Amino acid sequence: MQIIQINGFNALCEAKGVRREVSLYLVQGEQVAIGDFVMVHVGYAIQKMNESEARSVWELHDEWLASGADSA
Amino acid sequence: MTLTAPEWLKKIHALRLDRPIRIMNVCGGHERSITMAGIRSALPKYVELIAGPGCPVCVCPEEDVYQAIQLALRADVILVAFGDMLRVPVNVPKKKVRSLERAKAAGADVRPIASPREAVRIAQQNPERQVVFFAAGFETTTAPIAAMLLEGVPENLFVLLSARRTWPAVAMLLDSDTPGFDGLVAPGHVSTVMGPEEWNFVFEKHDIPAAVAGFQPVSLLAAMYSVLRQLLEGKRFLDNCYPELVRSGGNRAAQAQLAEALNDTDANWRGIGVIPSSGFSLQKRFAKNDARLRFPDFDTEGRKRAGQMPPGCECASVVLGKINPNQCKIYGRACTPKTPVGPCMVSDEGACRIWWAAGVRANAASDEKATADNMPLPSTG
Repeated sequence: MQIIQINGFNALCEAKGVRREVSLYLVQGEQVAIGDFVMVHVGYAIQKMNESEARSVWELHDEWLASGADSA
Repeated sequence: MTLTAPEWLKKIHALRLDRPIRIMNVCGGHERSITMAGIRSALPKYVELIAGPGCPVCVCPEEDVYQAIQLALRADVILVAFGDMLRVPVNVPKKKVRSLERAKAAGADVRPIASPREAVRIAQQNPERQVVFFAAGFETTTAPIAAMLLEGVPENLFVLLSARRTWPAVAMLLDSDTPGFDGLVAPGHVSTVMGPEEWNFVFEKHDIPAAVAGFQPVSLLAAMYSVLRQLLEGKRFLDNCYPELVRSGGNRAAQAQLAEALNDTDANWRGIGVIPSSGFSLQKRFAKNDARLRFPDFDTEGRKRAGQMPPGCECASVVLGKINPNQCKIYGRACTPKTPVGPCMVSDEGACRIWWAAGVRANAASDEKATADNMPLPSTG
C-alpha cells in the first residue's frame, strides 16, 4: 500500500482506492515517508518495497556469461 | 532484464531433468497463488508441487481452540480472533459447542478481527469486560502481536498465543527419513521479517536447493526455475526471487521486537506433535496480559481425542505434504467448506480449502496417487 499520511507510528495507506490505517511500529528501522510503498500484514507494515532488482541469481549469472566476462 | 511469468515458464520448460522432482512450498499464500493461477498444470509433467506446512490455523493445538471456546462461553469475556479460526472444530460430542462460531451462535461474544490493533480497540471500548485475543499465526503475524504488546495494551486484554515458527517444521521433515521433496520454495513474508538466512540450512545441511518467493506467479515461477536449475547443474544455494521485499537480514526492528516481547518455546502442532523451539510465549513482563496465566485451564483430563485431528481427518498428513488434499478419504465427501471436519478445510491458508476453492472436486483417495491432472487448467484472467 502507498503511504499518504504519517502521524507518529500511524499511517494512512491506500491501495486500489481503499484507504486503511496502518501501523509503522515494525518498520522503525527504515526511513519511511509519504509516497513510499509498504507491504501490510494484519494492519502492520512489515517492510518497505524496493525497486525490483534481478529476480534470480541465475539472471545475473546468465547475463554475466552473455557479456563474455569469462576471464574471472 | 526482468522476465515475465510466461518467460520464466518457457525457461522452466527448456530445462531437461530426467527424473520426477517434487518442490514443496510452506506458505498458504503460495499454495493459493499456485493453485489459483493454475501453475501446477502449466509446469512440465516431471515437476510435482507439494503444499507443505503453511497454515498456522491448521496446526493450532486442538486444546488451545477448546480453551478459547470455553473462555468465549464466559459472560465476562469477549473473545477476538482472526476470522478463519472461528470455524475450526474441536473433538467434543455433537451436542457440545465445537467451534467458536457455534459458541457465538450460543450467545458468546465472539468477534472476528483482521488486526491486533482491533483487539486493542475493542479492549479500550469495553473496559468492564475481559477481552481474550486468541492468536494463531506464523512469524509474519507474530511480529505484529509483539509490536502490539510493546506499544502498550489495556489491562483487560489477554493474549492466548498459539504462534508458530515455520522453519522448525521444515527442519523436522528434512531430519526425517522421508522428507518428501527435492526442492523448497521458501516463504516470502516470513523471510521478509525473519531474514532469508533462516532457510540456509536447507541447502547447507540437507543439500536441497531453495528459493524465496513472493506471491505473484512471476516470483513463484522464478523460484521454481531456480530450484530446478540448481538440481540440474548440481549447484546449491538460497535464491531470493522476491527482492522487492526480502532483504539480507530481514526486518531487524521486527526481530528485536519479537525477542523483546516473546520467548521461544517448544510447541505442539495439532496431529503432528511437539516440535522444538517452534513456538512463542509471552515474556514475564507481559504476564498480566497472558491469558494462559490469567485463566484456568478448562481442559479436563482424559477428554476424548483431545489434541488430535477429528476422526477420519487426514489434515496432519496434508499439512506435512505427505498426501495431496484430495487424497484424504473425506475430502469433498464428509468434509467440505460448508461442513468442514478438519482445519485444512476451514482456513483460507489450508490446502484443502484452497484446492476446493479452485474447483478440485474429485476425491483421489482411492486412486494410487493424485496428480496434476486433478488440478484445474490455468485461468485466462
